[in-house]
Amino acid sequence: MKGLLKGLGVTLQSMTKKKVTTSYPDVPIIMPDRFRGIQHFEPDKCIVCNQCVRICPTECITLTGKANPDPDKKGKVIDTYDINFEICILCDLCTEVCPTEAIVMTGNFELASYSRDDLFKDMKWLDDNNRHVRQDNNNIGAPAAAKGGAK
Amino acid sequence: MGAWLDETLTWGHALLFFLWGVILLMIVLGFVTYAIFFERKVIGWMQYRIGPNRVGPWGLLQSVADITKLLIKEDTIPRKADRALFILAPALAYIPAFAVLAVIPYTNKLYFADINVGLLYYVALSGISTIAIILGGWSSNNKYALLGGMRSAAQMISYEVPLVISVVGVVMLSGTLNLRGIGEQQGDWFWEWNFLPQILGFVVFIIAAVSELNRTPFDLPEAESELVAGYHVEYSGFRFAFFMLTEYVYVYAIAALTTVLFLGGWHAPFPFLDWVPGIIWFLLKFTSIVFFLFWIRATLPRIRIDQLMGLGWKVLLPVAILNVFLTAVYMELFIK
Repeated sequence: MKGLLKGLGVTLQSMTKKKVTTSYPDVPIIMPDRFRGIQHFEPDKCIVCNQCVRICPTECITLTGKANPDPDKKGKVIDTYDINFEICILCDLCTEVCPTEAIVMTGNFELASYSRDDLFKDMKWLDDNNRHVRQDNNNIGAPAAAKGGAK
Repeated sequence: MGAWLDETLTWGHALLFFLWGVILLMIVLGFVTYAIFFERKVIGWMQYRIGPNRVGPWGLLQSVADITKLLIKEDTIPRKADRALFILAPALAYIPAFAVLAVIPYTNKLYFADINVGLLYYVALSGISTIAIILGGWSSNNKYALLGGMRSAAQMISYEVPLVISVVGVVMLSGTLNLRGIGEQQGDWFWEWNFLPQILGFVVFIIAAVSELNRTPFDLPEAESELVAGYHVEYSGFRFAFFMLTEYVYVYAIAALTTVLFLGGWHAPFPFLDWVPGIIWFLLKFTSIVFFLFWIRATLPRIRIDQLMGLGWKVLLPVAILNVFLTAVYMELFIK
């Protein structure tokens, strides 16, 4: 009996408390920095090392490189870079292995679309996806003082 | 209203009564619309949400949109259902729910029927809705609907008994079954209203009433988190809407009945507040009971089916009978 009254008291008090509801679609949600959202890709930083393709557990990344147009420089530059978001699980592994931070996580998560084809994102789209980019890409498990030394 | 009821029935009077009936129907429909909205808002606030707020200003048109959706939905009747009964059941559920409202007095001037056995009329008619629920479950030709209907009927019949016996004490004190008479003879001070002298009866009445309404914590027949729907599994569109309507009209009826029987009806809580019109007091008490129903829905978990029957027959019924005897002893010793 006492419990019943106590419960009624709790619900009555919570009526006037602050609500947890956000007006999400109207006001966008800014995710915390370590959120694993849709990747941002910077073609200029990429050295075509292919590590992201090899580590990807769902094999959703495909890339091709071409010889550097500047004949004096060695190595390759990126030609095409595609991520298939039908199967990408946003596991963060590609961004962890990337030696030059060419691919990094962002705080964006809105992928819903009417067609499966829309989920196949190319280099241009990933490059333009440059809002809410993760600030600190090296802090996994590392205390603030040791930052940068882990890689 | 009262004066017309005493005169001979002419065509003009009949038309007038009909119009008043239509007005009451409109008021009840408006109540149901906004009771559903208010319920969703209150439960939302109690769960740290803000409730519906998208349709119309502050979400006020949410229920209107929901009802419109129900009305324009396809009306499906299962091929092997008992067609006549399937169509009859929702109407049969709704008609007694609306008919019981006739005997509710809102003030000592404003009432729709002045029947000497008003209370008996109420409980007798509300029993018919149970038949409609069984009919709906059975005619659907669906085992889950039938089971839901049976459970619903078992619960409503078991709780009808303590509900009726719990008001016997009030009837004994008032010496009348006329709801207007019962409302009239409750005192001017709020502690003279029936809920304090009849506190046992009041508690039993509230519990049995919530169960009778099939509302949480007694909503086992249609427990939305456990079952698909209960007796109205096969119903859709406006037939389903009628069952929902019945439920909320009974909320209206029970809240009004509780106000009249136990909370002094249209009386002010203190004699010096008499200048406030009685209808305001009635509405205040009425709204707080409706709010209380929503409040316990947001608070209490559903009770188990084996505890349900036990509570009804082994706790509420003996307590209600005890209340009758206590009232009789009290009247014998102090009033006679």
